[in-house]
Amino acid sequence: MVSARVIRNLKKEFRNSALAKIGLVLVISIILIATFAPFVATHDPTAQQLDQSQLPPIGFSETAERTSSQMVDGEIQTVTETVEITPDPDHVFGTDSLGRDMFSRIVYGARTSLAVGVLGTLLAAAVGVPVGLLAGYHRGTVDDALMRVADVSLAFPSLVLAVALIGLWGRAAMDVPDPFVVAGLAPEMPESFVLPITVVIVVGLVNWVWFARVARGEALSLRGQEYVKASRALGASDNTIILRHVLPNAITPIIVLGTVQVAAIILLESSLSFLGFSGTTLSWGFDIAQGRDYVSSGQWWISSIPGFAIMLSVIGINLLGDWLRDALDPGIEGEGGAA
Amino acid sequence: MSERLQAASGAGRGPDADDVLSVSNLSTRFFTEEGQINAVESVSFDIRDNEILGIVGESGSGKSVTSLSLIDLVESPGRITEGEVWYRNPELADEFRSNDAVSVDGDHIDLRTVPPRVRRSLRGPSFSTIFQDPMSSFNPSITVGEQIAEAVEVQRRATANPRSTRSRTQGYGLGQYLLDGIVPGRGYTSEESMDRAIELLEQVGIPDPADRVDEYPGQFSGGMLQRAMIAQALAGEPDVLIADEPTTALDVTIQAQILNLLREVQEERGMSIILITHDLGVIAEMCDRVCVMYAGEIVERGTLSAVFDDPVHPYTQGLLGSIPDLEDPRSRLQPIDGNVPGLLDSEMDDRCYFADRCPKAMQSCLEKPDEIVVDAEAEHGAKCVLAERSYDPDEALPADYFGGDSE
Repeated sequence: MVSARVIRNLKKEFRNSALAKIGLVLVISIILIATFAPFVATHDPTAQQLDQSQLPPIGFSETAERTSSQMVDGEIQTVTETVEITPDPDHVFGTDSLGRDMFSRIVYGARTSLAVGVLGTLLAAAVGVPVGLLAGYHRGTVDDALMRVADVSLAFPSLVLAVALIGLWGRAAMDVPDPFVVAGLAPEMPESFVLPITVVIVVGLVNWVWFARVARGEALSLRGQEYVKASRALGASDNTIILRHVLPNAITPIIVLGTVQVAAIILLESSLSFLGFSGTTLSWGFDIAQGRDYVSSGQWWISSIPGFAIMLSVIGINLLGDWLRDALDPGIEGEGGAA
Repeated sequence: MSERLQAASGAGRGPDADDVLSVSNLSTRFFTEEGQINAVESVSFDIRDNEILGIVGESGSGKSVTSLSLIDLVESPGRITEGEVWYRNPELADEFRSNDAVSVDGDHIDLRTVPPRVRRSLRGPSFSTIFQDPMSSFNPSITVGEQIAEAVEVQRRATANPRSTRSRTQGYGLGQYLLDGIVPGRGYTSEESMDRAIELLEQVGIPDPADRVDEYPGQFSGGMLQRAMIAQALAGEPDVLIADEPTTALDVTIQAQILNLLREVQEERGMSIILITHDLGVIAEMCDRVCVMYAGEIVERGTLSAVFDDPVHPYTQGLLGSIPDLEDPRSRLQPIDGNVPGLLDSEMDDRCYFADRCPKAMQSCLEKPDEIVVDAEAEHGAKCVLAERSYDPDEALPADYFGGDSE
């Protein structure tokens, strides 16, 4: 499947496109950050330091009004003074309302987003691709039945469906031990990483339809190919044909869709966390929700920085997807001769 | 109508012993949104040992659908609505002799009555097909060798366990697919099948077959791929090879090579070939017997010489008249006016379907003609009144009789 020609196309497209380079750099950074989070993070992302709360990011000084009360001659006097809060060089992105280090939270949030994004996409593909291939290959009643199911699940707004499913199943989360911490390489970091299983399953079930539709479309066009007919005429079974002749030729658009879906699922995960449906508190969406109350009082960074993180990762993954699509486009790749 | 057909074709009263395949009254219809299309209309013919049967006709006359109907590959919305396909296979006949649902006649078994999985198990080992366009008949993402080896593999399963149709039809499971994807160098095909593929490629005249098996279809030329496809079709060691326009996509010199190859292979293996083409030259060069198809029907049949030297049906005459004559290159070709009818059931009148294009259409052509024996010796028959009587200009239909009909 990964022929020399595909690699050549990928390289050529990469050289010609600045956006592809940006996308790849962003995605690789996010992957590295997420993987080596215990080493990148400067603090335990869950450790609260209330005396250091709401520190601004480096480069931004905040003035805040502090009100204190004193007993002066038996009367309570309220004194309001304007204090300047200077950033602490120890907290690059500042701290949130409970004094947790924003930078470390962003780093660990990348883990959640990426894990949910990738696992959710894999689940969606694992459900959607077989359904789509079967529907497209067999057509007729099978197709009608499977695609009506897909249409119905598409008719629900995905967020509403996700909220409903989580409401039904509860918020299950799985503690995955962090290998680096277990090995003693970063002892001050949290020992385990919380994987919100329900969220993974829900985003997978919400997004499988896209894979089913793409796979079905490909299967529909591929089943008309002469080589599928030839293969049938030579006595190959339907499953053999689907696995050997249809799937390999349908894989390119599925891969491209997969990358785009990772970004879409990261967004969906953030939305769910924002609404409080996630099983973990280490999530960009959760932080945005936390910081929402502080935006009006001037602590913009608690919401904005995770927002930027979401934006950069989604842009990065989409640029990567565009690059893959341009490079793997069958129109450019050519089907060989008379196609 | 069936009893009238029997007279000429010998079909209907059961297959003869030397018929590998005997088709009787086969009808295939397509149920489209515009209506029912009668693509194949009560077609009967048989294929004997060691012969090449030609089926010739214009585009849209039902040739290809006939061949697909034989191997049960008609796609929805198409359906075989009627007919019997008798296949000679003593083992299979014995297997099903006690089964009431399956018609068995001596060594022959009616494939229309056996379960679909049995029909599928016969594709490859019993019937193989060569398609028109070799370029698109190979999967571009798998090497040519693998694809031929795959066909060998199907044949191996069939011979390893001839009695069990189950093992023949067993495919390629998901588990194996995943394993192949993870473990590098593991293929669906075994080493022996690959060696056999090299052998087959050598037989069909591909130079350096050992190197070329690892190449992808895109690296082959059209003629080479057509050879590879013949190799693939031979892998199953079929009794009947269906060649559906095998040379149409190739240039003339390659055409000749491929036809020679087909003939050699046929003589060597003693199999039977159904050659479907619109090229009368190919028919003349290759075939022992010919069926001429028009609008889903066989309108004329017989031995090659009977049909070509002494055509009865004006359609056959028209086809032959539209070939350039080498001896008199200045004469104009005589095309048949008009087009093949659309075959929509609602638009087909109960008359000779060719009457609207026929230069010799008469009053009696407004009734559906039966198949009439012209020459029993040459098995020559035609569905035309002219087989019995001669053209009478007094009875001719007025030129504008079908006025709006033909366009």
